[in-house]
Amino acid sequence: MSNPDELLRIEGIRKTFPGVVALDGVDFDLRRGEVHVLLGENGAGKSTLIKMLSGAYTPDAGRILVGGEEVRIHGAQDSERLGFATIYQEFNLVPDLTVAENIFLGRQPRRFGMIDRKTMEADAEVLLKRVGVSVSPRARVRELGIARLQMVEIAKALSLDARVLIMDEPTAVLTSEEVEKLFAIVRKLREDGVGIVFITHHLEEIAALGDRVTVIRDGKSVGQVPAATPEDELVRLMVGRSIEQQYPRERADTGAALLSVEGLTRDGVFHDVGFQVHAGEVVGIAGLVGAGRTEVVRAVFGADPYDKGAVRVAGAEVRRGDVNAAMAAGIGLIPEDRKGQGLVLDASVEENLGLVTLRKATRAGLVDLRGQREAAARVAGRLGVRMAGLGQHVRTLSGGNQQKVVIGKWLLADTKVLILDEPTRGIDVGAKVEIYQLINELTAAGAAVLMISSDLPEVLGMSDRVLVMAQGRIAGELAADEATQDAVMALAVSTPTTPTHETEATRGH
Amino acid sequence: MATDTLKSTTGAGGATGGLRRLLLDNGALTALIVLVIAMSALSGDFMTADNLLNVGVQAAVTAILAFGVTFVIVSAGIDLSVGSVAALSATVLAWSATSQGLPVALAVVLAIATGIACGLVNGFLISYGKLPPFIATLAMLSVGRGLSLVISQGSPIALPGSVSHLGDTLGGWLPVPVLVMVVMGLITALVLGRTYIGRSMYAIGGNEEAARLSGLRVKRQKLAIYAFSGLFAAAAGIVLAARLSSAQPQAAQGYELDAIAAVVIGGASLAGGTGKASGTLIGALILAVLRNGLNLLSVSAFWQQVVIGVVIALAVLLDTVRRKAGATPVAAGASGGGKGRQAATYVLAAVVAAAVVGAMSFLHSGSSAAKDQKIGLALSTLNNPFFVQIRAGAQQEARKLGVDLTVTDAQNDASQQANQLQNFTSEGLGTIIVNAVDSDAVTPAAKAVNKAGIPLVAVDRAVNNADTAALVASDNVTGGRLAAKSLADRLGGKGTIVVLQGQAGTSASRERGAGFTAGLKAYPGIKVVAEQPADWDRTKGLDVMTNLLQAHPDVDGVFAENDEMALGAIKALGGKAGKSVAVIGFDGTPDGLSAVKAGTLYASVAQQPTELGRIAVQNALKVAEGKKVTKSVMVPVKVVTKENVAGFSG
Repeated sequence: MSNPDELLRIEGIRKTFPGVVALDGVDFDLRRGEVHVLLGENGAGKSTLIKMLSGAYTPDAGRILVGGEEVRIHGAQDSERLGFATIYQEFNLVPDLTVAENIFLGRQPRRFGMIDRKTMEADAEVLLKRVGVSVSPRARVRELGIARLQMVEIAKALSLDARVLIMDEPTAVLTSEEVEKLFAIVRKLREDGVGIVFITHHLEEIAALGDRVTVIRDGKSVGQVPAATPEDELVRLMVGRSIEQQYPRERADTGAALLSVEGLTRDGVFHDVGFQVHAGEVVGIAGLVGAGRTEVVRAVFGADPYDKGAVRVAGAEVRRGDVNAAMAAGIGLIPEDRKGQGLVLDASVEENLGLVTLRKATRAGLVDLRGQREAAARVAGRLGVRMAGLGQHVRTLSGGNQQKVVIGKWLLADTKVLILDEPTRGIDVGAKVEIYQLINELTAAGAAVLMISSDLPEVLGMSDRVLVMAQGRIAGELAADEATQDAVMALAVSTPTTPTHETEATRGH
Repeated sequence: MATDTLKSTTGAGGATGGLRRLLLDNGALTALIVLVIAMSALSGDFMTADNLLNVGVQAAVTAILAFGVTFVIVSAGIDLSVGSVAALSATVLAWSATSQGLPVALAVVLAIATGIACGLVNGFLISYGKLPPFIATLAMLSVGRGLSLVISQGSPIALPGSVSHLGDTLGGWLPVPVLVMVVMGLITALVLGRTYIGRSMYAIGGNEEAARLSGLRVKRQKLAIYAFSGLFAAAAGIVLAARLSSAQPQAAQGYELDAIAAVVIGGASLAGGTGKASGTLIGALILAVLRNGLNLLSVSAFWQQVVIGVVIALAVLLDTVRRKAGATPVAAGASGGGKGRQAATYVLAAVVAAAVVGAMSFLHSGSSAAKDQKIGLALSTLNNPFFVQIRAGAQQEARKLGVDLTVTDAQNDASQQANQLQNFTSEGLGTIIVNAVDSDAVTPAAKAVNKAGIPLVAVDRAVNNADTAALVASDNVTGGRLAAKSLADRLGGKGTIVVLQGQAGTSASRERGAGFTAGLKAYPGIKVVAEQPADWDRTKGLDVMTNLLQAHPDVDGVFAENDEMALGAIKALGGKAGKSVAVIGFDGTPDGLSAVKAGTLYASVAQQPTELGRIAVQNALKVAEGKKVTKSVMVPVKVVTKENVAGFSG
């Protein structure tokens, strides 16, 4: 208890939400100068735990001790005073203010009641140098790429003289090069005596950076192990069982071409994109971010218009720019931005599952609510959505369960061609495998699946064929047995025109 | 939807627990109950069947408008045009049925079609024109109001008798507006809960992009949503007109804000995705109970507005706290934090109750003195010094005679005045003095007062087609004629003048204008180069006069239909006022008279508002005591110029 190096200790924390026990007896501690990794599936309670530390939630039971003394954290101010700083996945930056203003937001140095820009920018300069990023304090945050935003967030945390830095999946959006840079900064902070709580889904990062690992499962802390623990063991702790196979692709018999796209072009965005997806086949689309993958599939689905080309389903042409025509032809889209485009967050699981089939369930203007409920219950059971009930708001579900709901609404609509855009982004290992198994079921039933993913192992592991896009064109096609990481990356950067200059936004590991 | 969800999870609560949950789940319902309890504790007249039906009637128009707005707000839009569309639909109904001689059924269809068409235009601008809903419907607010003035040419149009029955009662006790409100409410609940379009509204309001990518035809749905809102506005307009037996082009002004307030008080979020028909009904009832109760308690007209604002804020606040507190106890354990916040809800509810009770007993002035005679004075507005002086005169006289006088302010809204007369009737006053917003529109309410056997005294404006014991008025037509004469004499019978009119469609403006035009006939050398409305308002008088001076820089004279506008015109004229340009006003308000003294205002046709108020109270008391009064008391008007201003006081 009275370890002088101990910064923070959490004992038996409990927190409940309507219908859900989010945390139930979690223990955790953090020492000066260590990186303590918090590991767990989505929905295990990691986010809830760190929100207790940032003052967003207050615990129902249990104690939080800082430097050996019990504290109560009732808001962001309390948290800041204790020396806690949190960097969330969604950045808390104001896009139209400058970098310096963002770093000192609410604490801008003042002279005679006016903001002292000179001092502020000089101070910001020092902080930015410390995190090793070359960006002008006067640059607008809107103009920065994701990696730099992250560095600005870290600079902001440093400006608070944080003793405890909490990072929620900081590497999820970074390229491997940027990840290395981030690690260097984190190591330097560790040397300075800062305690770092690090949340990640990438197991290989644990060994590279971490000191200790606390694993949380279903709201309970199930173990504390050294960072050198083998990955298999970590996975077993995390999901409560060992995962035999990370990518359980079972090939189905390939049938006739279901979806065929010819010469699809939108000027300045994508050009002459053509491919086919057969019944029972999974076609992956790989490529760097910005290669035009999402734009192509949205055009195929009719969500956005295109200038030239044609989309056919089972030989029949689909009207361009018309979501309903695409749906009638049997195409479904799981969009990239789950919360922004896939779900009505404040509606119930039942409502979200019934969204696509709402029109079909309508007779003379009236919706068959009972039928909708039964269908929702059936599909939620089939997908294993973990929820308090069909009435639970999807906002309160974990990422993996949210994604299952998005997929579920298309399953209900008997989709023949399912397009998945980044289907497992931000989803934990266990839920990922469940989604892969769903893909297997779909193809076994004769559906065609088109999957975009920036997670190369996933594309390689799950696709029967891989299309690689670069600069808005299809740079090449690889069969499953010839697709390796190197081959895909070579195509992804080997573009017909000039190579990418904006390396910052790219990604791939 | 939020409340739906919570309810479904708490089936096994038991009867008392269920009630507690219901109240906790619905902050607006709690607020309504608190309000009703407070009102019945404070006023013995509140909890009577008649008065509660009155509350229903008074809530009807707002509620029907609000039901339509609920659709729009649930889908994350806003509709500011409903008040104007209601007035336009009513005007179309009256115009087509009377001036155009269409069969009434067809006229009703036409009125409803008008409402739907306005909604479709809104929806089209928003869906396909990509206008923000706020702007598109703001434009429709202006267009709708303007068109109803164009069609009616500014005057109210009487409704055919068969339509007016919509404002009557069924079987002698059930008011038709209440029935219409209930039916529209049930339709709203059905549409929101069970139909394709209703469920789409929640999805579109919750996340428009997700709805679109799930195959909902968002643009078409929006067309339909705004059309629904227009349809409900038309229905509200017809009910409103039926209650007043006439279609008023200026009716339902500002009702869109009441409707939006009702929806939000009822638990909907302006961000979209939530909202229910029952909540909206409760919201509308809260507003109606409040207005009714404040009338019954004789709270000063000015304080009423303050109280209404505070209660709106508190009702929504209660709901917000409820959401935070109510969410926690559903979870397995009754935890300490949850209890604390639940307690906070009760505390807040208690504070609201205390505030309401406290404010009312503080503000409601007259009840303590047990005087023999109670008289009500229903003024058209207190937004103008003229009417404030009527009130002052009436209050002076009431004090002198030892009469308990209650004054209400209808804010120039004929339907609000009808409500206030209804409330006076349930209070059982000795006499009611009415200063009609509109002489025709007040008829149904005045008839109801007649029926209750309470004598009626009209002041300043006549009440058409109902029995009044006395009319105390100054003659607007004569005043207009006098104004024409003195202005013409001053200009030597030659020159160009402009006329600043009062709010289009008001009787005072029509009568003064008519008198002025008639008076000018004798002076062919005087040319009226422009006639524009400035709505009785000094600021608008300034703006309109400034604009007119651009077109007619060398006018010789200005006739403003009241002093306020005349004073605005004087500001616009600057140094020219009183020198090269003669300005003549109307009313003889204190500000006007000092301008006459200063020489900037050539003359004001002075009524004697204080006198009007005083004589009205005198007559009312006589009537109440059963004495004889003269049927028509004319308080003389005088042209006040610099020569005679010293001896004149209102």
